[in-house]
Amino acid sequence: MNSKIKFAGIFFLFISFFIVFYYALKSDTKNNTQIMVGTRLPNIQLSSLFNPIQKISLPSSEKENFYLINIWSSWCVPCRDEHPFLVKLKNEHQIKIFGINYKDKTSNALDFLTKLGNPFYYVGVDSDGSKSIEIGGYGVPETYVINAEGIIVFKHVGPINSTTFEKIVATIK
Amino acid sequence: MKNFLFLLIVFLLNQQNSFALFSQDREIKIYKNIRCLACQGQSLNDSNSDFANDLKKVIKEKLNNNETDQEIYTYLTARYGDWILFDPPVKKSTLLLWFFPVFILVIGIFILYKRTVFEKSKLS
Amino acid sequence: MTSNIGFVSIVISCILSLFIIILFFKHVLFGGPLHSKFFALYKASFFLIAASFVLLVISFIISDFSIVAVYENSHTDKPFFYKFAGTWGNHEGSMLLFILIISLYGYLFLLFSKQLNFPLRFTTIFFQTSLQFAFLLFLIFTSNPFEKIFPIPNQGLGLNPILQDPLLVLHPPFLYLGYVGFSLVFSLLLGGLICNYYNQSWAAIAKRWIFLPWTFLTFGIGLGSFWAYYELGWGGYWFWDPVENASLMPWIASTALIHSVLVMDKTKKLYNWTAILTILTFVLSLFGTFLVRSGILNSVHAFANDPERGLYILFIISLITFSALVIYILKSPKQTEGESGFVLFSREFSIAANNYLLIFALTVVTIGTTYPILLSVFTGESISVGPQYYNTILAPFVFIFLIVMAIGPYMKWSKNSFAVSKNKLIAFLISSLIVTILASLLLKNQNFIFILGVLCSLYLIISVLYEFAYFKNIKLKQFNFPRVFSHAGFGFLILAITLHYFFSKEFTAKIPLGESVTYKEFVIKFSNYFSKEDKNYQELTGEYEIQKNGEKIVLKPSIRRYSQPQQFTSETSIRGEWLSDMYIAMDYTSDTSDGIGIRFYHNYSIRLIWLSYILIAIGGLLSFMRRKNEQ
Repeated sequence: MNSKIKFAGIFFLFISFFIVFYYALKSDTKNNTQIMVGTRLPNIQLSSLFNPIQKISLPSSEKENFYLINIWSSWCVPCRDEHPFLVKLKNEHQIKIFGINYKDKTSNALDFLTKLGNPFYYVGVDSDGSKSIEIGGYGVPETYVINAEGIIVFKHVGPINSTTFEKIVATIK
Repeated sequence: MKNFLFLLIVFLLNQQNSFALFSQDREIKIYKNIRCLACQGQSLNDSNSDFANDLKKVIKEKLNNNETDQEIYTYLTARYGDWILFDPPVKKSTLLLWFFPVFILVIGIFILYKRTVFEKSKLS
Repeated sequence: MTSNIGFVSIVISCILSLFIIILFFKHVLFGGPLHSKFFALYKASFFLIAASFVLLVISFIISDFSIVAVYENSHTDKPFFYKFAGTWGNHEGSMLLFILIISLYGYLFLLFSKQLNFPLRFTTIFFQTSLQFAFLLFLIFTSNPFEKIFPIPNQGLGLNPILQDPLLVLHPPFLYLGYVGFSLVFSLLLGGLICNYYNQSWAAIAKRWIFLPWTFLTFGIGLGSFWAYYELGWGGYWFWDPVENASLMPWIASTALIHSVLVMDKTKKLYNWTAILTILTFVLSLFGTFLVRSGILNSVHAFANDPERGLYILFIISLITFSALVIYILKSPKQTEGESGFVLFSREFSIAANNYLLIFALTVVTIGTTYPILLSVFTGESISVGPQYYNTILAPFVFIFLIVMAIGPYMKWSKNSFAVSKNKLIAFLISSLIVTILASLLLKNQNFIFILGVLCSLYLIISVLYEFAYFKNIKLKQFNFPRVFSHAGFGFLILAITLHYFFSKEFTAKIPLGESVTYKEFVIKFSNYFSKEDKNYQELTGEYEIQKNGEKIVLKPSIRRYSQPQQFTSETSIRGEWLSDMYIAMDYTSDTSDGIGIRFYHNYSIRLIWLSYILIAIGGLLSFMRRKNEQ
């Protein structure tokens, strides 16, 4: 009698052990980069890449519907890959993109934009990476979608590919 | 013997202010508690990657502004989640982490107590 | 060619294992004598595995790139030593080593158990064969080390440079000889339970098969700790990294097992407890393998990640644990009240008390290692559990643990012996107090935790030294050298850790060439640098002058850029002064305009930590040899 209960207990324990670790194997136990999604974008002050006197602060005070923030750098190779998507977003979906130029040389950054086109409504400078950290960034490239209330509704770490592109388009519809 | 114990007590009482020694290297202590997100399992203190250095700079500025450890940790967890702290905070989802070992300990003490007798003659 | 022979011998060995299992069941279910070649078949299966392992080693040495494992983990430019060690520097090779060690322990058991009860002997071999069979299937179906590649590449991809280190040749085999070695005592337990031979004399047999792997495991963990210290360049000896914890868990469980099996041997108590610990030790060894091999962990030791393999190992663990527990429940020995009770302040009481503390520590390590995984499965939250957690929870109990360790050996079996030893114990307390106070004044540290740490470890050390000083009174053969070494080693370990924690200094800085920085009593100047090229890497060496209290030393750390595969490593430069180390590691950086980043550590009493590891392991070795002499 007693041993039957023990059996049942152990059996149950091992089935649950198996199931839990089975799911652990399937799921990604690594870092969750989506912490900031659903919260308000922290305030940051940026000065323009083109004209340092021209300053703005984010979240934008203009009551836009949605806008994008993209952290990029001329030395970052994946940024080149995602650039056409940014251009497409601006041209085809008329969305304002605020660029944050991450730890870059001004001349290189300007060169990059001249060569590949400038999809940005405004480009702010983050010379030491602190602005990026302020908004919870991990590095370059990174893209945020912000709504009218200044809430982050979408965040993507890494370059935009066609899947992310579709997601962003769906979000800003 | 009594004198000796007295000396010991006096000695231990004098230690009250000794915890100041702990906080001397507060900066390193904070760095050690923060995971370098761009590295594999290293703390900020052990890493000199670009990300780690930027984050150190941000934290140093906050220390200079006289922010408390807690304020700094709150700032970081709001942005990067509890993942960034090596010392897991005590909260609802970590209750078992902190208190299950204590539970095991209590059970252990209880079992040992139940099984212990004072003299051999009392063993049935 | 070699790859074909290697693979075929694994397959034949697997078939032989299956055959042995069938023979066993035929004997048990249908009666009749056990097949006369039962043991010979087992030996054959062992030799086949050994042969295929040797073939794999040869393939690595001659750089046979027709084999995927060799192609992915070796390179012709690599020094001979690392070609050799590369055999187990990858998943497939290390799994073959894993199986070889299971089989080796079975083989050793056969050689040294001729006088044993026959049913116990063949049942044990049956269980060992079953383990071997399960892992052979795993190897053949998910990680064939002899898998071929076509067309044959001209050159290999090379071994991860972090692993190109002399200690790597020893670290994994030692670790495996340790925790895979617990498979034998596990099989022996199941054999003993099935044959109704689980009694006091079982404990006497089992002891040796616990001491041997325990010694290897202790050495293995020590080597790993030492390797991390000077190869990873983080300046510490233990990081509570999940992979380190995976090897610590079976170590704690087996340490508890060593003590409980002694109680079982001497007093016929703790039968059930010993059985549970035996199962736990081996299951935790497997669980550790699962955690490390499945890539489920976030660790510095990044291994290749393959969920399918993880699933198979998970399945094996569940099956093994489940069957072991079923056998245990069906056949567990019945204990009477008197057998399970302890007399306060008797030897077995103190051992039981420390056993519970060990289980507590084991719970902490296990929970800390798996909690982030479990939490993310259940809630999707991700948290980190780092050194702070373990230090906070474990530190207070280590002190109690030390005291019980010191008092225990002065207690007699089954007798309240507090009154007899009271004077000695008080004398130890007074002498350790005096030394502690002197140390505290001398080192100018009056922190409470520091004092407690030093006091408790000194208490243990003094109690052991006293025994050592008076050993003339008893016969040399009866003197318990193993315990003296291991316990003193543990005392020194905690003492060293306490000193290291409170007196080590460290800082990081970026120093431009020719400049110097000052930190406390240290002035560090980046005086020069030069570069050189070697067979498989380029090296940039920095020259740092360190002044401390007027003395000047030069340290030369370097950064290496390996070509195959492309990777950077940081070679530390260490200079010892007595038990402490001055330690500099350089950081790799692309932009040297504001100097090169360095991490400087003054590691106080770190050498005492290495020494303690050795003492503890020597204790294990001695106890293995001692038990051998007794029989």
